[in-house]
Amino acid sequence: MQTETDVLRIGGRCLASRFFLGTGLFPNPYVQMEAIKASGAEVLTFAIRRINLENTEDDSILQHLHNESYIYLPNTSGARTADEAVRIARLARASGLSDWIKVEISVNERTLLPDPIETLRATEVLVKEGFTVLPYTSDDPVICKRLEEAGAAAVMPGAAPIGTGLGILNPYHIGLIVEEANVPIIVDAGLGSASDVVQAMELGVSGVLMNTPVAKATDPVRMAKAMRLAIEAGRLSYLAGRITKKKYASASSGLDAFQLK
Amino acid sequence: MNLIVNGNEYQLDVVTIQDVVVHFGLAGKPVVVEAGGTVYASEQWATTAVQDHMRIELVHFVGGG
Repeated sequence: MQTETDVLRIGGRCLASRFFLGTGLFPNPYVQMEAIKASGAEVLTFAIRRINLENTEDDSILQHLHNESYIYLPNTSGARTADEAVRIARLARASGLSDWIKVEISVNERTLLPDPIETLRATEVLVKEGFTVLPYTSDDPVICKRLEEAGAAAVMPGAAPIGTGLGILNPYHIGLIVEEANVPIIVDAGLGSASDVVQAMELGVSGVLMNTPVAKATDPVRMAKAMRLAIEAGRLSYLAGRITKKKYASASSGLDAFQLK
Repeated sequence: MNLIVNGNEYQLDVVTIQDVVVHFGLAGKPVVVEAGGTVYASEQWATTAVQDHMRIELVHFVGGG
C-alpha cells in the first residue's frame, strides 16, 4: 500500500505522522495527553517562558510526557525581532531536548502575523548554528522560497492568523508554494476543522501544525482523532489523484446502450 | 550579592549558577539558564560563578503552538 512507504523526512528524521500538534490551551494535562495519543502526532510544539519564581509548583509541561519518544519543536513565540528569536532558540537548545526550532516572530499583537523579514534573518543565523529550522511565515511563495534557500528544513506558511480557525484564506498560494518547494511544506496556524485539514493535504502540503482547533474544541480528544483521519484522507486523496472538474455530466455507465426502445 | 533574576531584583547568598538554581527550588527540574546574556548547559552551572548585578533568566518549556 502506498502510505506504508509515504514517510515524511525532516532534518534527518523519518515521520510516520504528518500531524504536528501544539501543546497550549488544553483544559488540563489529562485531556492533553489523551488528545496527543489520539492525534498520533510525533512532533509536539512548545513555547519557552520565564519560570514563575513565586510559584515553582506551577511546573513544566514536560513532566507529563515522560518516557515517550516525541520530537520536541520549541517555538520562538514572544520574539519581535530576529535577535530575540535567536536568543530563545539558543535557550531552547540548551535544554538538551531538541535542536529543532520553529521560528515565530510577530510584532502586530492583533493579527500575530509573522514578520517575514526578521524570520528570514533568524533562519539564516540559526541554520549556520546547526539548528533544524522550521520557520512559520506568511503564505507568500517568494518568502517561502527564500526561507528554503536559507536552509530551512521545512517551511511553514500560515493558512490564516493564529487561532482564528478561518481555514486556508489563499489556497492558490498554498498550492503554488507546494509546487515550487524542494523541502516539506507544513501549513501552520489558522485551520479550524477537519475539512480545512483535508483541503490543505489535497493541496499537496506535507503536513499540518495545529493547536487551537484541537485544544479549544468542545471535545479535544475526539477532534484530535478527526484531524488525524482528515490528514490521512487528504493525503491519500492527493496521492490518488482526483478527477478533473467538468462543466457537464458524464454518465457512469455510458450512453450508447441507454435506449431500451 | 544583588542579582536580577527573571526581571526582579534579589539579594542572594550564592556563588555559582547552581546555587541560584537550588535557591529557587529548581534543582533536578528541566530548567534552562541564561546568565549575563550567555546560555549555560547544566554541566557548567556548578563551575560558573555569578557576578554582582548579573541578569539571570531561568526559563522552561510551556504549552504552545
